[in-house]
Amino acid sequence: MQDLFTSFKDNCGFGLLASIDNKPSHKNLEDAITSLSRMMHRGAVAADGKSGDGSGLLLSMPKSFMVKEAKKQGIVLPKQYAVAMIFSTNSSELDVFEKYCKRNDLTIIMTRDVPIDTNALGEYALNALPAITQVFVAPDSIMSFSRFEALIYLTRKETEFKLKDNADFYIPSFSTNTISYKGLVMPTHIKEFYKDLQNKDFKISFCLFHQRFSTNTLPQWKLAQPFRNIAHNGEINSVEANRFNVMAKAGAITSEVFTKPELDRILRIIIQDGMSDSASLDNFFEFLQVNGVDFFKTARSLLPAPWQNAPHMDPELRAFYEYRSTCFEPWDGPAAVSMTDGRFIGCVIDRNGLRPSKYIITKDKKLLITSEYGVLDIPASNMLERGRLQSGEMMGLDLKSGKVLKNEDINNYLKSKEPYNDWLSENMIYLQEQVDSIVTTIDEIKKEDLESKQRYFNITHEVIDQIIEPMLKDGKEATGSMGDDTPLAAFSSKQRNFSDFFKQKFAQVTNPPIDPIREKVVMSLNTGFGETRNILEDGAHHTHRLKAGSPILSKEKIDVLLEYGDERSPRFEASYKAKSYDTTFTTDLKTSLEALVTTITSEVENEGIRTILLDDRAVNAENKSIPMAMLVGRLNKVLLQKKLRHLVSIVTVTGEVYDAHMAALMLGFGATAIYPYLLFSTIATIVRKDDPEIDLTESIKKIRAALNGGLMKIMSKMGIATMASYRNSALFDVLGLSGDIVDECFHGARGLIRGLTYADIEERLTKYHAHAYNRGNSLYPLNIGGYYKYLDGEEYHDYAPSTVHAIHQASKSGKKKDFEALKNIINKRDKKYIRDYFEFNSKKESISIDEVESKEKIFKRFATAAMSLGSISPEAHECMAEAMNTIGGMSNSGEGGEDSIRFGTIKNSRIKQIASGRFGVTPAYLRSADELQIKVAQGAKPGEGGQLPGHKVTKLIGRLRHTTPGVTLISPPPHHDIYSIEDLAQLIYDMKQINPKAQVAVKLVSTIGVGTIAAGVAKAYADKIIISGADGGTGAAQLGSIKFAGNPWELGLIEAHNALKANGLRGQVKVETDGGLKTGLDVVKAAILGAESYAFGTGALTILGCKILRICHLNRCSVGIATQEEKLRDYYEGTVERLINYFTLLADDVREILAELGYNSMEEIIGQTHLLKVIDDEFAKKFDFESLLVDLEGDNTNNVEFNEPYDKNEFEQEIVKEVMPTIKNPNDSIVLNKKISNLNRSFGTRISGEIAQYYGDKGLPECAIRLNLTGTAGQSLGAFLSNGVSIYVNGAGNDYVGKGMSGGRIVITNELAGEKYSLAGNTCLYGATGGKLYVTGQVGERFAVRNSGCTAIVEGTGDHPCEYMTGGVVIILGKTGMNFGAGMTGGVAFVYDTEHEFIEKINPELVEARRIDTDDTDTERYYLKKLLKDYYKETNSAKAKDILDNFRVEIRNFWIVRPKDMMSRPLKIEEGE
Amino acid sequence: MLKFFDLERIDAKKRSGGERVKDFKEIYEVFPVNKAAEQSERCIQCGDPYCHNKCPLHNLIPQWLKSTAGKDLELAFALSNQPSPFPEVLGKICPHDRLCEGDCTLNDGHGAITIGSIETFITEEGFKQGMKPKFADKMTDKKVAIVGAGPAGLSAATFLLREGINVEIYDKQVRAGGLLTYGIPGFKLDKSVIERRVDLLKEAGAIFHQETEVGKDVSFDELQEKFDAVFIGVGATQGRASTIAGADAKESYLAMEFLTNIQKKLFGESYDESINVKDKKVVVVGGGDTAMDCVRTSLREKARSVECLYRRDANNMPGSKKEYINAKEEGVDFEFYASPKSVALDREGNVIGIDMIKTELGEPDESGRQRVQEVAGTEFRVEADVVIFALGFAPVKYPFLADNGIELDRWDGIVVNENYETSKSGIYAGGDCHRGADLVVTAALDGREAAKAIVSKLLA
Repeated sequence: MQDLFTSFKDNCGFGLLASIDNKPSHKNLEDAITSLSRMMHRGAVAADGKSGDGSGLLLSMPKSFMVKEAKKQGIVLPKQYAVAMIFSTNSSELDVFEKYCKRNDLTIIMTRDVPIDTNALGEYALNALPAITQVFVAPDSIMSFSRFEALIYLTRKETEFKLKDNADFYIPSFSTNTISYKGLVMPTHIKEFYKDLQNKDFKISFCLFHQRFSTNTLPQWKLAQPFRNIAHNGEINSVEANRFNVMAKAGAITSEVFTKPELDRILRIIIQDGMSDSASLDNFFEFLQVNGVDFFKTARSLLPAPWQNAPHMDPELRAFYEYRSTCFEPWDGPAAVSMTDGRFIGCVIDRNGLRPSKYIITKDKKLLITSEYGVLDIPASNMLERGRLQSGEMMGLDLKSGKVLKNEDINNYLKSKEPYNDWLSENMIYLQEQVDSIVTTIDEIKKEDLESKQRYFNITHEVIDQIIEPMLKDGKEATGSMGDDTPLAAFSSKQRNFSDFFKQKFAQVTNPPIDPIREKVVMSLNTGFGETRNILEDGAHHTHRLKAGSPILSKEKIDVLLEYGDERSPRFEASYKAKSYDTTFTTDLKTSLEALVTTITSEVENEGIRTILLDDRAVNAENKSIPMAMLVGRLNKVLLQKKLRHLVSIVTVTGEVYDAHMAALMLGFGATAIYPYLLFSTIATIVRKDDPEIDLTESIKKIRAALNGGLMKIMSKMGIATMASYRNSALFDVLGLSGDIVDECFHGARGLIRGLTYADIEERLTKYHAHAYNRGNSLYPLNIGGYYKYLDGEEYHDYAPSTVHAIHQASKSGKKKDFEALKNIINKRDKKYIRDYFEFNSKKESISIDEVESKEKIFKRFATAAMSLGSISPEAHECMAEAMNTIGGMSNSGEGGEDSIRFGTIKNSRIKQIASGRFGVTPAYLRSADELQIKVAQGAKPGEGGQLPGHKVTKLIGRLRHTTPGVTLISPPPHHDIYSIEDLAQLIYDMKQINPKAQVAVKLVSTIGVGTIAAGVAKAYADKIIISGADGGTGAAQLGSIKFAGNPWELGLIEAHNALKANGLRGQVKVETDGGLKTGLDVVKAAILGAESYAFGTGALTILGCKILRICHLNRCSVGIATQEEKLRDYYEGTVERLINYFTLLADDVREILAELGYNSMEEIIGQTHLLKVIDDEFAKKFDFESLLVDLEGDNTNNVEFNEPYDKNEFEQEIVKEVMPTIKNPNDSIVLNKKISNLNRSFGTRISGEIAQYYGDKGLPECAIRLNLTGTAGQSLGAFLSNGVSIYVNGAGNDYVGKGMSGGRIVITNELAGEKYSLAGNTCLYGATGGKLYVTGQVGERFAVRNSGCTAIVEGTGDHPCEYMTGGVVIILGKTGMNFGAGMTGGVAFVYDTEHEFIEKINPELVEARRIDTDDTDTERYYLKKLLKDYYKETNSAKAKDILDNFRVEIRNFWIVRPKDMMSRPLKIEEGE
Repeated sequence: MLKFFDLERIDAKKRSGGERVKDFKEIYEVFPVNKAAEQSERCIQCGDPYCHNKCPLHNLIPQWLKSTAGKDLELAFALSNQPSPFPEVLGKICPHDRLCEGDCTLNDGHGAITIGSIETFITEEGFKQGMKPKFADKMTDKKVAIVGAGPAGLSAATFLLREGINVEIYDKQVRAGGLLTYGIPGFKLDKSVIERRVDLLKEAGAIFHQETEVGKDVSFDELQEKFDAVFIGVGATQGRASTIAGADAKESYLAMEFLTNIQKKLFGESYDESINVKDKKVVVVGGGDTAMDCVRTSLREKARSVECLYRRDANNMPGSKKEYINAKEEGVDFEFYASPKSVALDREGNVIGIDMIKTELGEPDESGRQRVQEVAGTEFRVEADVVIFALGFAPVKYPFLADNGIELDRWDGIVVNENYETSKSGIYAGGDCHRGADLVVTAALDGREAAKAIVSKLLA
């Protein structure tokens, strides 16, 4: 576990600057550095202002400068030369480099120590400073230019391989036309550090620049970006799979540039170890470039636009992508990547547009692409174009011809290069097309055999009832509620699936999950079969592939697959030659596994097997099966090692798959496709019960739809959009399996609590097998279950009936003896959870309980967990607030808003939550809190969003969430303003502006790697970090999410606490945990493992009378807690006293334990892991618990009041002083004129916070404060703006303009206005609840996401406009991007569409567009006109004028868009809709 | 499911009080199919099925409620008969309001699911449609002797036969069924219901030796010799006699003595004709289910009046609330907070009444039940011709137990280990003879669990 504490992820600010006609100048360099410096807030900055996580410049070779430098040494540089920039720690490393140069026919003509000034470095950077040397290299014999370039690369690769164990040796660049200047230095100091950069002779024509934000505080010189070809802002979620696939593809590579032996030397180290995801992408990009693959083709192969499900895509372009997909899978994840090969420069945005990238083209022929606008002061008179890249777009520059290439140009170039369409039509075979029968069949299994197999593969009555039947009914994965309270599979004594050892990974903070439903356009489960051929070579032969739409195969499809693989079939083709392998065994799992893998690999090698079917149908009374995922994973690894992996497709024919998790596991470790025969047979028995002749087609379709949906959910949880990128990604944590098993079979995954060996697994299998086949007679053939719901004698549940009764009793009576009864159940549960494996180990004498701190002090550490009003009833919600306020703890509003009449009273929730839905997040709401909790993930369903069905949206809830009662409310999976760590830093900054007195907390879910995230969150200036256990509850989630994503809190807490310590950050933040805590023992153990405070969710509800019915999602809670039904709320029995009783008993229990341990206070035991030891127990000895008791040096608790941001926002603090008189006397209105720059972030927020403090959301009278700004504002302009504040910007805004605005007005105008000019960035108006926003230009992606009340007029938008919108009015006087109105359940939009292409942009699931030029749309029409008039008055927009002048004509070009089920309702104009 | 929100709890229909006291036929009707389905649909399908948890047999209640709601009777029948040896019996006689229905999530104002009635419906309807619980296809060569054909014995027989183990049952009565046949009156449990179960066991290969008392008609040694294991389920039929003066009078009966006698009379077996309540004033002392059986039997035997005397109040009666209500409906008078002091006799020794004292409830004891205290100076007399004491039962100390070294506890219950094995290897016991007087459902549980232990030992 130790290595986890110092691992990292990174995000950043980035960009490029180039002279379009390739003219070098020193000004280019200076501009690039200025731009970079002005994005410093996107990186991390230490208190000394010098130490950051690294920044750098990748520059065109400053030829004239180099010539002069050579001259100084008396050397005349030849025409052909390359410069290596080298970081080294000793001279022998340079000797190695020289040796390989010589060996490759290169000669060193000059070595130059790069002049540096170490004053520019922070202490940490200085300590790690390598020697920085430039080595000039030339050909030693006559060779072509391209050969020279190849040898440069080869030499570098060989040097890297030789020195791969020298961690600090690194070659930032080695090229003829680019050079890298980078390091652990701040952008503001880079020029000071590298003296070369100060030299006026240092002239460049282009520059890629980058500032890094690493999650840890141990950055390295070599990790600074840009790399040799790219600079990347974002995170590659599928990087494990991509790295694996590079190695797999390598098996087929031959090169025209390198000889076979040369290539072999390169292939050893295509991807360097120990580097970041971005570095790996760079490695592969470079490899393709050096081998002559076209620049744009490379870019679009590795970072393709979404093509599978994008409507109306150019078929030729689609053909190009489909063709490339036979060789490459996307490097998937949020990405803005700038890249160059020296001739071309380009920038690509990921398929979902998750990273910002804005460009400016000037009249003086400069191209600037950056994360933000305003990083360089360019006068409007010099501005030619101001735009941004949309989802999946690329733009480029050909330096040779001085031409800017737009997305269209690049696409036209790519699609016309080869006859891709013809190649595909001729060779690609779609399984679906080849299926002859229209009636779906299954493998028929005899009843007895079926039942035995169902028992062996754990298809219980409960599985049928809870999992399979819901899929069959709705074609979707089953929904449940509350949390998982069962032990890990490793600790269970009951029959558990092998897949239970694995927990799905999910995105949090550094990368966003995707919404696989509303943003389905980017998702694809496309699956191909057949060999991967030489990726360096183009040709029709790549298109010889069999294709399926999903990896879940029906019988018909697998039959077709087999026909192509069967030598006796007329359809046979050698490249699909198939063979089925029986995966069963009788004894010795390990030996059987290895023997089977050996057989298969040898037959692949010698008999040309290309389609491997792993088949467990031979399970019977004698044979049990090798766990399929284990076999797939092992085989995958061995095939890779033997360089055979690219030849084959692995198909599992298995009884082990009945839900998406089980399928995902096999796919994640290498399976190509799955035929779940037992599931299909089970379905047949269900649907044929009444009619044995019934056609199964519909049923199988539904099941496949459910599994496909489940797979997309699992992928999207990790932010992966395509199955091709998910396959081999190993995105699971393995809990409880031995190191051997993890290393040998689950390559790429991480294991914790290493324990069970092959022999242990075999022992368990043997037990299940015996039970399945020698079960004796019973009337009902299946096992009943007990995994999802409690069943007596079956799986342990921590909220069993007796426990619930005991909690009720203790909370009602408040008597110690009743609490003892509960303790008797919980504290003696015996090795069910990780904490049960530790016992106290205090060396101190016990003390009297009178010497222990009071219970009041302990109460301060207690909080109730976030539960929204909506998921629970107002009675329960208020009860918790009142109880916690009474005892001095904290209650949590949850994400549903809160009634303002509760603010400032005993019923105010001291914690206000900010979740992805942003329901009712207003200035007053935020200002009423002592803690602002940003929920990044939720234990029950990390990486997923949620939904409050319309029938639960009562009048009250509608009001609190600023929406119409009865409207379904969707919480998106990601916060649309947090796609990366610097985004989170920005949101935290927003929070600290609106309410400077509140602590900002960030809620994370336990998973391996959460320590890395926690460190990053601390660096983003959060005050508190919450580590939730995966067992947390929910009002509704898919059962697969409740059960299989996320880890127990213990693991996450230990990792986070220690990662914070290892990075020296623990003293900056508080740490809290939650997850099934019930007794003092739980609390004290959590404290010792590092938590300072403790939250109770399900526990608190149980105290209030919850009976763990697990029907919260059905609005039928019989105890009146998880329901809005008035009739049921009458049955609510919870009281404030019950909560106080329980927490009093709990605090006293904690005090008793402290006394026994000999400590006076909680503070003294937090993080003191020596107070625990592993229990002395045979079963416990199987597992590695020792390594969990980490004891690092350093702070164990927080020691600052606030984790102050580097940026103190003096700019606005000054303005607050100026407007204070108006806040005091609202009628004395004020107008201020100010200049603003992109460094002034969250402008208007601090003022709004002050206003909300005194006036709540009512704010000030209209236009009481008018702020006229000139310039480009920083991110979050007008975030959470209050009524009465008007912001007029003459210039532009960046991302998040008007985020959460509640009132007031933001008007952005510019001399260069209209559809062609971008005037605001991404995700504007996210979660806005009111106010007005006028922008006379285009805005970015995801405009007005989750808007519930703002009226906005803009002149064009990016993709996904009005997503999840529930209220408000949006008028768009220009083009919109795709996926308009996805998940939009309320509000109204008007779109001006002269080109008649808007209809294709709509996501038609929920909304509908209509014309408004008829009599019965009178209201709409004149309402629109009224709004446009106001818009024109405020902005002078030329477009608005045109439209108004010709309103009678132009009205024909307008669409009104509303949710389908709202269409019949009249527009409620007075309510702002 | 979850229809509790719109649908009230409805009990199975019963015949009117005046009507039903005229005979010994069952008073409840079995639910019609739609009613059973509808009532089943009220179930929440809790994450924590309290009903299932509370049921001693851990019946799969939510599971079969759902299949009943879905009108999948075959599935419901299998699920219901899987853990229970005779669900249709327990559906009628279990004190549901204290067990499954009492702990039902909905029993806090919404009205519990009518679990008992639905349980009865499933198997009754199943039998009607020709379903049958399945027994082993092939018998093994193992044989087990069962002593006592009561609920524990029948349960053990059921689960042994399912696994292919032969059983022979030794019982001293004319008919099999023990308490189910002779103790529980027909208006609660029709005698044909037990006969049907016995017939099913016979069909599955069980051999019943009726009127065969172990230690008398057959020696215990013989059983041990002939069989691979022995299960003892001889019940607790020794009525707890009252110690008050006059309790030994001629017209003072013990409950089981009274009930058995009437049942024998109804069967046409030989019985004690002196026990007769016709036209008499009957007073029953006690508040349990057996007391209710006595009062209601007395009414059907045409007693002039029937009064029940109990030390606590209606809420504290140990039996099923339902039975109290039924008794009231049928015309029984209740006197609460009354404790007997002596039976009043005339000079001939005939019962003329019972002397009582008023009581009140005091502090709770360890079990949480309030103690009973007599209130001084509140003595009173209730006139009576017959007094029946229903004060509980104890196991009978059959000589063959001690003779074979089978250990008993201080209440004369047979001591068993966690596998239901007695101190003598190969000899198992369960039910009331092990627990002391308890419920039929716990006897059924013991029979099942002992059978499982025997199976795993014999078929290991």
